Amino acid sequence: MNVPLPSPPAIRLDRVDVAFQGRPALEDVSFEVSAGSFVALLGPNGAGKSTCLKVILGLVRPDAGTVAVFGSPPARREYPVAYVPQRIVIPRGFPITVLDVVIMGRFGVLGVGRRPGAPDREQALAALSVVGLGDLARRRFQDLSGGQQQRVLIARALCGDPLLLLLDEPTAGLDSGARARFYALVCDLQHQKGLTVLCATHDLDVVGDHADRAILLNRTIRAAGPAGEVMDAATLNQAYAFPVDHAHG
Amino acid sequence: MVEFLSFAFVQRALLTGILLGVTCAVLAFFVVLRRMAFVGVGLSHAALGGVAIGVVAGVSPLLSAAIFTTGVAWVIGWIGGRGEVSEDTAMGVFFPAAMALGVVLISLSPGYRQDLMGYLFGNILSVQPGEVPTLVALCGVALVLLGYFFKELLYMGVDEDAARAAGLPVEPLRYLLLTVLAVTIVAAMRLVGIVLVSAFVVIPAATGQALGRSLRAMMVVGVVSALISVVGGLWISWSWDLPSGAAIVLVSAGLFFVSLLVGRRI
Repeated sequence: MNVPLPSPPAIRLDRVDVAFQGRPALEDVSFEVSAGSFVALLGPNGAGKSTCLKVILGLVRPDAGTVAVFGSPPARREYPVAYVPQRIVIPRGFPITVLDVVIMGRFGVLGVGRRPGAPDREQALAALSVVGLGDLARRRFQDLSGGQQQRVLIARALCGDPLLLLLDEPTAGLDSGARARFYALVCDLQHQKGLTVLCATHDLDVVGDHADRAILLNRTIRAAGPAGEVMDAATLNQAYAFPVDHAHG
Repeated sequence: MVEFLSFAFVQRALLTGILLGVTCAVLAFFVVLRRMAFVGVGLSHAALGGVAIGVVAGVSPLLSAAIFTTGVAWVIGWIGGRGEVSEDTAMGVFFPAAMALGVVLISLSPGYRQDLMGYLFGNILSVQPGEVPTLVALCGVALVLLGYFFKELLYMGVDEDAARAAGLPVEPLRYLLLTVLAVTIVAAMRLVGIVLVSAFVVIPAATGQALGRSLRAMMVVGVVSALISVVGGLWISWSWDLPSGAAIVLVSAGLFFVSLLVGRRI
C-alpha cells in the first residue's frame, strides 16, 4: 500500500537544546529527514539518540529550538507516528499473547475508551503476517526469541498505519543474522508502504547496507549525509572518541 | 450454611466482601503488570496515618484515611514521574514515615487502641448498614473506571513510552490508577485490615497468572479466586470463630499454592 506522502519533511529539528538537571543532552541540534527515507541515527552511548527520538515523539520538550513532524509540532501532529523500543519487559509468566501486543498498535487510533473490534483484530493479524509471524498470534510473547519479539513490535507499530517509524536501538542483543533480517524487513516496509524510518542504532556494519542517510550525533551533530560518507572511519572515530559525561542516551 | 446466611450482618459482610474482593482482584491485575506490589504494601500501611488523623481530628477515620492515602499515592506518583528517585524508593520513605505518624497520633489517643485492631486486621462482619452504600459505591466507581480504561492501562503496563507516543493520556491515567489503588485499599481495610490488604491486591492476580493462559482467563480466575476466598474465608471464620480477615487471606494464599501445583500440569 503506497500512501501519498505529505509535502513537508517528515522530521525537522531546528537548533534544539535539551538539558536534564542542568546537564546538556542535545545542543544546537538541527536536521531534516525527508518523507519516505530511511535514516540511521548513530552515536556512542549517551550521545542523545534516545533523547532525540523522544523530542520527536513529543515525550521530551526542548529547552530551545523547534521540532516539526510533517510540518506540525509533535503534540499536534496530524499523521500517525509509531515507536519501537529496544525491548519491552513484561512480568515473568504474565499470559500476554503476541496478538495482545500487536493489537495495542490500534489503541492510539481508536482513542480513549473505545475497545478494539474484529477489524482491529484482522489488521493486527495482517501486520503479523507482514513480519512473517502470522502463525504465532496465540503464542505467549515471552516465549518468542529476541528477534521474533522485535518483529512483533514492528507489527504493533504497523498496526497503527504510521507514516513515520522511530526505532530506538531495536536490535540490541540480537545476533548478526537476526539483525540483518530485521533491517531487511524494515527496509522492505519502507519501500512497500512509503514509510519514513529514523533508527537510532549502533549497528554500523549493517545499517550502511540499508539506510539512505545517516546522522552522527554526540550531543551535537557531528556529521550528516549519505550513509557511506558519514560512516567514513575518520568521521566515526572523531564522534565516538568524544568523551560522554552525561547519563541520558 | 443456611443459618450462616440468615443473619443480616453476615449478608452485609458477604455483599461488601464480594464486591471488595472483585475490585481488589481486578486491580491486582494492574498491580502485578505494573510491578506495584510494594506500592500496595506501602499505601496500606500509610493508611494507618490517615486513620490516626481521623481519630485525632474527630472525623471519620475511613474518610481521613482515603484522603491521606490518596495524597501519599499522588506524592509517590509525582516523585516517581520526576525520575530522580524510583517509585519504590519513594514508597520506602513514605511507608514508614506515614505509619510512624499513625503510631505517634494514636499514642496520643490511648482510648482508641481497641478499635485500632479492627483497622489493622479487618473485621468485615462488623460492617454497619450505613457503611454498605459507601462501600458499594466505591467498588462500583473503581470497577467502572478500571473497565473503561482497561486497554489504556494495559498498554501503559506493557510499554509506557509507546502508549505515550500513541497519544494516550498516560500521566492522568497513572494518577487515576494510584487513586483507585489508594481508595480501594482503604475500603478493603474493612475486609482484611491494613496489615493484610496488600496481599489482597496481589494474590488473586498471581493465582490467575498461574492458571490463566490468556489475559481474559487470568482475570476470570483471579476474580473467581477472590470470590472463593471471601465466601470461604467468612464461612471458616464463622465456623471456627477465627478472625475473618486472616481467614480470607489464608484461603486466598491457599488457592494460590494450589494454582501453582495445578498450573504446572496444564
